[in-house]
Amino acid sequence: MTLYYFQRLIEIFPFFLKGLWMTVAVSGLALLFGTILGFALGTLRASNSRLLKWPIGGYVAVIRGTPFVVQIFIVFFILPEWGIQLDAFPAAVLALTMLGTAFICEIVAGGIRAVDRGQWEAAASSGLNIFQQLRFVILPQAMQTILPPLVGQYVLLIKDSSVVSVIGVTELTRVGWVTVVRIPEGLMVFSLVGLLYFAISYPLIRLSNSLERKMAVQQVRL
Amino acid sequence: MIKFEGVNKWFGSLHVLQDIHLHVKPGEVVVICGPSGSGKSTLIRCINRLEKFQKGRLSVDGTPLHDYGINLTKLRAEIGFVFQQFHLYPHMTALENVTLAPMQVRKLNRKEAEELGREKLKRVGLDDKETSYPAQLSGGQQQRVAIARGLAMSPKIMLFDEPTSALDPEMIGEVLDVMVKLAGEGMTMCVVTHEMGFARQVAHRVIFMDDGQIVESGQPGQFFDNPQTERAAQFISKILTH
Repeated sequence: MTLYYFQRLIEIFPFFLKGLWMTVAVSGLALLFGTILGFALGTLRASNSRLLKWPIGGYVAVIRGTPFVVQIFIVFFILPEWGIQLDAFPAAVLALTMLGTAFICEIVAGGIRAVDRGQWEAAASSGLNIFQQLRFVILPQAMQTILPPLVGQYVLLIKDSSVVSVIGVTELTRVGWVTVVRIPEGLMVFSLVGLLYFAISYPLIRLSNSLERKMAVQQVRL
Repeated sequence: MIKFEGVNKWFGSLHVLQDIHLHVKPGEVVVICGPSGSGKSTLIRCINRLEKFQKGRLSVDGTPLHDYGINLTKLRAEIGFVFQQFHLYPHMTALENVTLAPMQVRKLNRKEAEELGREKLKRVGLDDKETSYPAQLSGGQQQRVAIARGLAMSPKIMLFDEPTSALDPEMIGEVLDVMVKLAGEGMTMCVVTHEMGFARQVAHRVIFMDDGQIVESGQPGQFFDNPQTERAAQFISKILTH
């Protein structure tokens, strides 16, 4: 029987690849938007402006302090009541972007704060405006602190994308659920699901580790 | 060039600058000394607005710093600032440190900026170090790169905040030599330092600060040999014997 199911599983493997593609699409878009927004908010959060600091801090606290599955339900089921109707795919990207933004914002703000205040003063003293200070002096140094945990965060977000299966996006995890109904070999099916997640996460984990080592070496040089 | 009129500053309840009056003329070299915590660093940091003040008037090269809406980046581009801890950009080579502001603020192209940068590095005696990173340079060399970085903007004023205090004794001379040369070329300079030799050699005026006030102001010879106040006399005897 097991062999039969295994053969069935191989037959429908393209279905898994489609799910994998959907996972990559949802998390890829969310990573892209989350990184852009996270850097913008993180930079503002590291600034000295209270006006900006508090709302961003509040947003980060709410996102970090509530389960992701609840956030998805709110985006998908509650927003329509206010007239914002989203399909499952954009809703999933939006929710995952909001999650990623909050975590990346914290990583970026931490990295910027770790840069010595004297660097800001030196850059400002030479006549650079605030954007030039950030772009040429502060961010290149902050990136050393930011990069390793940022890539680590990408891995977490890719895995968190499995949660969007609850609103019916046919990504990898949902493919697993659908399949296990027809092929009642849970271990076999979800091992395959896990293996496919691992296939995209592991290179990133390796990247994060090697970045960490590289940055540590660079820190010594600086 | 620099005109303090009744400038007051508080850090919370601490009155760090008390009713400061000070005029610095173009080409003048003013040395500011005094015990730590006396407000001398705060004083020169006000000149390029690294510190704000709450009361009084301060104009720098005709720009009133007590007004709202002044163009800070424009003001700062005209003033070189040298820090005690150098604050070179660690991810850039010596030459890149020097050329960054000329390229971004003065909009020079790379070739012009590098030409200018090499000239400034040569002026501080480091033309052979342009590809070195700050971590590969000694303290004295780093501080000279920092001075070159300031000079690359062709500033009207150079400010020095204890430029030799973080240096090993054998490196102090090379930095002071550069500053002496600069003073000789007629640069307007405000220097917070305890280097009496430097003060005697090039300063037109020595300002002594204590508790946020300018206690004494005079020519170096007169100040060091014949201080008018008890506090200045005590201070001078301490830096002489240490």
